[in-house]
Amino acid sequence: MTAVVAALERRLWFRPSTSWIVPAALVGVAVFLVVGSLRSSLFAQQTISGLANGGIYASLAVALVLIYRATEVINFAQGALATFTTYVAWQLMAWGLSYWPAFACTLGIAFAGGFLVELVAIRPVERRGSQITAVIAAIGLLILVEGSVGWIWGNQVKFMPAPFPSHIYNVGGVAFSRQDLSTIGISIAAVLVLWLFFRFTKVGLAMRAAAVRPQAARLVGVRVSWMLSFGWGLAAVLGAVAGMMAAASPSVLLQPSMMDGILIYAFAAAVVGGLESAAGAVIGALLIGVLLNLLGSYVSWVTPQLLLPVAFVVMLIVLLVKPSGLFGRTRVRRV
Amino acid sequence: MRLRRVTAASVAVTVVIAAVIALLPLTLSNYHRATGASVAVFFIAILALNIVTGYTGQISIGHGAFMAVGGYTTAILTHDHGWSDLPTLPAAAVVGFVAGVIVGLPALRFHGVYLALTTFAVALAVPQLAKNYPNFTGGTEGLALPTHSGLWLYEVGWAVAGVMFVIAWFLLRGRTGRAFRAVRDSEVAAASSGVTLAVYKTVAFGISAAMAGVAGSVYVLVNNFVNPDVFGLTLSLYILIGAVVGGLGSLWGVLVGAAFIQLLPIALTTSHISSSQSVPVIFGAVVIGVMALLPLGAANLLRVALHFGSQSRQSSDIHLGTEGR
Amino acid sequence: MTRRMKGALVLAVLAIVVAAGSAFAASTATPGVTRSTIKIGGTFPLTGPAALYSVIPKAENAYFQYVNARGGVNGRKINFKVYDDGYNPANTVPLTKKLVEQDKVFAVYGSLGTAPTLATRDYLNKAKVPQVLVATGDSYWGAQYKRYPWTIGFQPDYPGESRVYGEFIKSKVPQAKIGVLMQDDAYGQNYYNGLIQGLGAAKSKIVDVEKYDATQTDVSQQVVKLKAAGANVFALFALPTQTITALVVATKVGWHPVTFINNVSSSPTFMAIAQKSGADVTNDITATYVNDVWNNPDTASAKLYKTILAKYDKGADPLDANNVYGVASAWTFVKALSMAGKNPTRASLMNAFTHLNAKNPFLYPGVSLATTPTERFPIDQQILEQYKNGGWHPFGRIFSKAR
Repeated sequence: MTAVVAALERRLWFRPSTSWIVPAALVGVAVFLVVGSLRSSLFAQQTISGLANGGIYASLAVALVLIYRATEVINFAQGALATFTTYVAWQLMAWGLSYWPAFACTLGIAFAGGFLVELVAIRPVERRGSQITAVIAAIGLLILVEGSVGWIWGNQVKFMPAPFPSHIYNVGGVAFSRQDLSTIGISIAAVLVLWLFFRFTKVGLAMRAAAVRPQAARLVGVRVSWMLSFGWGLAAVLGAVAGMMAAASPSVLLQPSMMDGILIYAFAAAVVGGLESAAGAVIGALLIGVLLNLLGSYVSWVTPQLLLPVAFVVMLIVLLVKPSGLFGRTRVRRV
Repeated sequence: MRLRRVTAASVAVTVVIAAVIALLPLTLSNYHRATGASVAVFFIAILALNIVTGYTGQISIGHGAFMAVGGYTTAILTHDHGWSDLPTLPAAAVVGFVAGVIVGLPALRFHGVYLALTTFAVALAVPQLAKNYPNFTGGTEGLALPTHSGLWLYEVGWAVAGVMFVIAWFLLRGRTGRAFRAVRDSEVAAASSGVTLAVYKTVAFGISAAMAGVAGSVYVLVNNFVNPDVFGLTLSLYILIGAVVGGLGSLWGVLVGAAFIQLLPIALTTSHISSSQSVPVIFGAVVIGVMALLPLGAANLLRVALHFGSQSRQSSDIHLGTEGR
Repeated sequence: MTRRMKGALVLAVLAIVVAAGSAFAASTATPGVTRSTIKIGGTFPLTGPAALYSVIPKAENAYFQYVNARGGVNGRKINFKVYDDGYNPANTVPLTKKLVEQDKVFAVYGSLGTAPTLATRDYLNKAKVPQVLVATGDSYWGAQYKRYPWTIGFQPDYPGESRVYGEFIKSKVPQAKIGVLMQDDAYGQNYYNGLIQGLGAAKSKIVDVEKYDATQTDVSQQVVKLKAAGANVFALFALPTQTITALVVATKVGWHPVTFINNVSSSPTFMAIAQKSGADVTNDITATYVNDVWNNPDTASAKLYKTILAKYDKGADPLDANNVYGVASAWTFVKALSMAGKNPTRASLMNAFTHLNAKNPFLYPGVSLATTPTERFPIDQQILEQYKNGGWHPFGRIFSKAR
């Protein structure tokens, strides 16, 4: 069955592309960053904090990719769901749990929440409507969830305890915290775990089958609709990780709108990476994080207001050259 | 609305609705007239979105940006260059058209979700550009414009909306409209039937953006103020919601959609039953509910209830993935 | 009659019935004033990115409830309508129109935000509706009174505040090398202009100015550059979110300058969050004009403040300086209303607002409320305070703004 699904994935969607260009370009970028960092500690500082920001975008980007792969829905509500679960973690800690138990509980609650949301809000919509109705439902969900956070917990800024005591490492004039490293590490770990899950577990295989050929999957006993809910549950878990990593960083404070800006860059990362690939989303996110910092520091005509538009222009240029994203595979378009 | 023949019923209903709209202000207070004017604004904006998304199948989450372009055109011309209000509307349409073509050209390369993201980026970028040139646009403190009476706003708003409706109607039932629908339904088939994809897609964007620009102008006149916050991402999302709730690919649904996104939030905000914190929760839940119960939008409901035209093929399956699934 | 035509007729009739439901209401002599009530209203960002200011209308309402429980003002209880505009002027305008034309308020009170206030200023002045005690530190409200006589502000304006910082640096920090982080718009520019004015000749001591856009929450890149420029004084003119980030990042990269934080962002709640997040905020400086209820908890003012919050604004954090602001502003309104006479009119209210001379118990002792018809900044004085031992401690003299 594994082989069948893999073969279907390849046959249905992909045409072999010139696959050496992208890795070569990425290696080039990596070399540029390393050389620059060695020559200037300011450059190194901006790169490191860019990577840390990118780590935050990465978790959310992978969640977006997951839902898109399973259901082809652009989940506008992903950031709001992440915010909600982060507040749940805050509440658990306010009730006395310490960080890691609260973190673990939150992941469980997030899974259940994501599962339920798909069941209650998205499935009835997708069953009767089409893709665009599901997208509008996702937008409605965004409004609802962000509103609930404000309703339940209020709009004031709250303090979120950090997992690690703020230990600062100082290497050659560059300061980075343990938190920065863990954010990057956890994002990469999340992708790895996900890859292992999809590759080596029965449930993962069933999910891939459900995404590629729902009818055929049903015939071999896969409960396709449960797989969709499962996918949303997993995405919610990733979102919860993203939210908690974000709240732990100094640049994000716990308030209802906290993930709004991150969601925007997560979208960009997911698309640049190619919506098919979680690894692509992570790489895309890291690149965007670094790009934003370096653009802001070194390119003088990029004023703070232009940062977002310019970053998007760069992203669109990447897409013009490679329309399915860095790691996406070119799809054959049928008549 | 794929009416080839103009049925007597559709003309009758159009006339009745137009008459109601024309006579309504006589019974409304000044405040409600102004509210009616803002419904007109969204009528035009949703109409515009429908042209590019409902009829040509290209998703746009960026129409707030085109409204911004038109709105700022009106604001700058009246505030800094002494133009009077109404002549700025055609100017806004022209500027909007140019903006639409500029966005439409790279959009040729993108489909589905990638196009959505491009328009999303445009929606975010335009307010940032407005902030970046404060001497030109007034920056975050914006430009304050002269106020108008509710009646003037209502009349201007709905007159413009009527004109736009007529233009859209003629456009969509003619050759251009057929070409748009061909592009939506199957690009490959359209191309092989001689429809130059690039031209029609770009023109769709241009016309749609021109109309959205006019909507933006009227919006600025209604609020007598413009600043980047007025044209945030939320605006684009709400226009999309309105278009789908009303029913994509339907001109009647536009009225329902506009009323939905303008009247419901205000009613919720100022009512006593809900605290202000619960307004977004209720509104979001209603949107999801509407999508679950009426996925093809209100227009389908109207269509079924009033037996309009044929039960035409539903145009709401705008595909967000790339084709071939 | 065919079914189609019937359907159309039903639609038309429905529409007319709905419209008829909103007929004109009869207008009273002074809108919003009855024998026993006074109706006022305002627009505030209860949701959205500026929602952290949503505590202010709650605190204001709490004070009004307190006054109502004691019989109100001249026998009239205050009915305060709060609408959420989400900081979007496109919402502020219709909501303000609703307040004036549908709710028929006596005055529009406390509306928050520069752009929302600018958007409604023309309309309200044309309609001769008082637009009072607007919650923004722009100078327009006091400076442009000739064109907009129905509008008046409350708090000291931003340039005045940063002028105090500039004067202080000039006289007390001779070896200053100043790095500025400011929001890249009129808000930040206001502070920057005041700083330059206060510094006078010493403005050459500014070594670097970094800017950020309000949509960016991560300002680490700017802070790093300020450190690299060698600054030993940090003028931090940012919104609360970016202020906290900047403070944390500064400590993280090992930069310990003499830091000046703008008043809007220096509420003890924000400082506490910054500190818990790892920022070293000891000895940071800000300006204030509200009563120091935290260091002097036994004064009548402090006790009254806490009682009011506990009774009428449950869940409010007494540490949040925005709550003191709200109560102080509401006190000012009540004062002006009582001065407006037994049968207040909109004109008599504005007359009261332009002849204020009172000691507001919720303001810092020595800071007075004073206006004249040509001097329309109700609060003009501030005092500096320094952060030590987990709280702000005022020091030095009261600065007055020379005009």
